[in-house]
Amino acid sequence: MTESKGNMGYFCSLVPTEIIMSAGLKPVWMKGKAAMTAAADTHLYPNMCPYIKSVFTDGLEGGDSDCRGLVFARSCDGMRRLHDVWKAYITSEFIYMLEAPKNVDPPAVIFFASQLRDFAVQMGKASGTEVTLPALQEAVKSANKTRGMMRDLYNLQKRSPLPVSGSELFSLGLEILHGDGSETSGRISSLRKKAAGSGQPERGRKKIRVMICGNVMDRPDVFQMIEDSGAEIPFADLCTASRFFERVVDENGSDPFLSLATAYLDAPRCSRTAAPVETYARISDNVKQYAIDGVVLTALKFCDQQMYDIPYLLRRLNEDGTPVLFVENDYVFNDRDRIRTRVEAFLEMLES
Amino acid sequence: MLKKYYTEMKSGLDTAYQQKPRASTQMSIQLASIFLEAYRADKNVIWTSFYSFPMELLAAFDVAPFDFEIAANLLPTFNADVAVEIMNKAEEAGYSTDICSYHRLAVGCSMLGYMPRADLLLSSSYFCDGKAKTNRLLADHYGKESISLDIPNKIEKESVDYVAAQLRRIAGKIAEVTGQRFDLDRLRECIRVSNRSRRAYGQLAELQKVTPYPYIGVPVVNMSIFGNMLAGREIQEQIYLDMVEESRKKIMEGNAPEKYRVLWLAWCPVQPTNINQIFRKNGVTIVMGELARNYWGEMDESLPFESLALWSLRNPYVGTIGQRLKGINQIIDEYKLDGVVHFSTDACRHSCAAQKMIGDALKEHDIPYLVLDGDMSDKRKYSPERTQFLLENFIDIMAGRK
Repeated sequence: MTESKGNMGYFCSLVPTEIIMSAGLKPVWMKGKAAMTAAADTHLYPNMCPYIKSVFTDGLEGGDSDCRGLVFARSCDGMRRLHDVWKAYITSEFIYMLEAPKNVDPPAVIFFASQLRDFAVQMGKASGTEVTLPALQEAVKSANKTRGMMRDLYNLQKRSPLPVSGSELFSLGLEILHGDGSETSGRISSLRKKAAGSGQPERGRKKIRVMICGNVMDRPDVFQMIEDSGAEIPFADLCTASRFFERVVDENGSDPFLSLATAYLDAPRCSRTAAPVETYARISDNVKQYAIDGVVLTALKFCDQQMYDIPYLLRRLNEDGTPVLFVENDYVFNDRDRIRTRVEAFLEMLES
Repeated sequence: MLKKYYTEMKSGLDTAYQQKPRASTQMSIQLASIFLEAYRADKNVIWTSFYSFPMELLAAFDVAPFDFEIAANLLPTFNADVAVEIMNKAEEAGYSTDICSYHRLAVGCSMLGYMPRADLLLSSSYFCDGKAKTNRLLADHYGKESISLDIPNKIEKESVDYVAAQLRRIAGKIAEVTGQRFDLDRLRECIRVSNRSRRAYGQLAELQKVTPYPYIGVPVVNMSIFGNMLAGREIQEQIYLDMVEESRKKIMEGNAPEKYRVLWLAWCPVQPTNINQIFRKNGVTIVMGELARNYWGEMDESLPFESLALWSLRNPYVGTIGQRLKGINQIIDEYKLDGVVHFSTDACRHSCAAQKMIGDALKEHDIPYLVLDGDMSDKRKYSPERTQFLLENFIDIMAGRK
C-alpha cells in the first residue's frame, strides 16, 4: 500500500474500509473516549445510544482532529441524528453519509453498489487520490487477507484450552479496526503460530467457556474482568469483533463495487439488518461450534435495534437450555463492578 | 377485546354521524370499519403502516389493510388503564419500558390474541427503527413473512429506482399471498383517485392559513397520521371535500376564538390528556402539523411505482434533519405562527435527538418553541400537572409577544 494520506474516521462496520484504503487513507473506527456525556445530552437527548453520545462528546471536544474526515452510515435512527448534529455543531473538513440498505436482496445490493461508487469518488476527492480499479483490487486483497487471518485465529479458538485469551484476541481485532491491518499483520502471525502450537489439555478443571454477543463494544478490560472471574471467551459475536472479520469480498468479480456490496450486506449482520430468528440461529450455531457453556448477551442502552430482539433471543436460548445472562451496558461500562457481580453469579450458576 | 372496542366505536360514531354528519366523524368511521374488516375470515389481511406505506398499492388489491400501531393504540383512548395492563404483558415478557409504548402495546395485544390474523406484514424503514423491528417480531409471532420498504436518505435516480423495485416486488408478493392478479391499470386508477384526494386536501391545508382558524386543530395532526389509510380510495376525496366545505362554512360564520396559532411537531398523544382543554380555554389553535403539510406533490400515473417511491422519499422524516427543517420553515413562512410545540415521547429517539437543531433553527425565525415531554399511550409517563404548567407558561410567552 502507498503511504497513508491521513486518517478517515468511520462509525459503522457497514462502511467498506477497502474504499477508504484505496483512496490512500487509513480507515479508523471511531472509538468513544468520553465516559461522561453531558455535552452530548444537551445536543442530542439523554435517552440516546451511549456510543453515539460518547463519540459526539469527543467531537465537541475536538476528538476527531486526527481525522481528515468522517464517514457516517444510515445504520440506525441514532446514527442519522449523529450525522446531523455533527454537521451542525462541529467543524469537520469532510463529512459523508453512506447509504446502507436495510434489506438484503438483489435490489438492495444493486443500490448499495451504486452508492459505493459515489463513496469512492468522494473519498478520492477528500484525499486527492482518485480511487482506481487496481488500487481498489489491492485494498480488497489486503483486507481479505487480514480478515482471513483473524478468522483463522477465531477458528483455532474452538480448541480447549483456549490457544489465545479472548481479551487478547479482542484487543487485536480492535487494533485492526483502528487501521488498515498492515501494522497488525506481524502480531496476527505470531498469535497464529502460538495458537497453532497449543492445544494440549491443561491439568485440572476445564474453564467455563463464555460467548459474548451484542453490537458495539470496545472495552477489552470487560473481557479481562470476565476472564479474571474464571471463564474463558473463545468467541465474541460483536460488530467490533468476529462479525467484522467474517466478510469475504470476491476478488475476481467483474464489478468490485458489486462484490463489496454483496459482501458487506451478506456477512453476519447485527440486529439492525438481521431478523431475530437469524441472530438466534447464528448464536445457537456458534454455541455448538465453540462448545460454549453460557452466553453473555449485551446491548447498548437505548439501542432499539437490539432491545426489541432481546426478549425473543432470551426466550429461544432458554428453550434450548442455553444459559444466558443479559447485561445492558452504557458503552463505557461505568458500572463494571455491578456487572462483575452478575457475571460471577452467572459463572457460579454454570459451574454448579 | 380490540374488535369489541372497534365495534362499539363504529356504532357510536354511526349514531353521531346520523345526528350530525361531519367529515371528521366519517373519517373515524372509516378507521373503525377498516380495522373491523381485518377480522373478517373471508378477507386477506395485510398488516401495514397507514402513515408511512404508499397505501395506493394496497388499494389496488381486494385486501384488508391493518395498521398494528394505530389499531393497538386506539385502546388508550377507550381505556388508558387497560392499555397499561396490556403493556405490562409485553414488559413481563422482557420488552423494556425504554421501548416506545406504541410498540409495547402492539406486542402486548398480539401476545393476548387481540389482533386479527396477518397474511403478510409490510412496514417501512423510515419514521423509526422500532416500527420495522416490531413488524418483524410480530411476523415471527404469526409465522408470516415480513417485508420492510427500505427508504434511503436522498432523492436521486438510484434511490427512486431502488424503492420502485421494492414496490414491484411487494406487489408481486401481495398477489402471491392473496391469489389475486396484480392489475397495473387498477393501480394507475388508484393513483388518479389519490391525486384528486390530495388536491382536495391541498384546499383544506390552504384554508388552515386563514386567520382566525375556527378549529382547535388536533384532528389536523391525527389525520396526517391515519388519513393516508384511505389513499387510493374514492371516499378519501369525498371526506376531504366535505372537510373543506365545513371549514369554509365555519370560517364564514366567524367568531373563531383563536388567539394563538401553533405548529405541532411529531405526534399527538392518543391517551386522554388535558392538552385540548388547555388549548380551548386559552384560544390556542394548531393550524398545521409537520406531517399534515402537503409535501408529496402530484403523482404520475404513467410511472406508478416511481411515483409511489417519490411519495415515500419526500416524507419529512426521511433523510437528514435538513428535509424536516425545510418543511418546518415552509410552514412558518405560510401559516403566521405564534409558536411551535414539539411533543416529545422519550422513546422516539430520532425525533428527540432533533430537538436542539429544530430549536436553533426556530431561533432564527424568532418563534417560541416548547418541547412538551409526555408519552403517546402510556399514562404512567404522562403528567397532566406538568403539561398544564408547561403549556400555560408557553401561552404566557406567546401572549407577551402579542
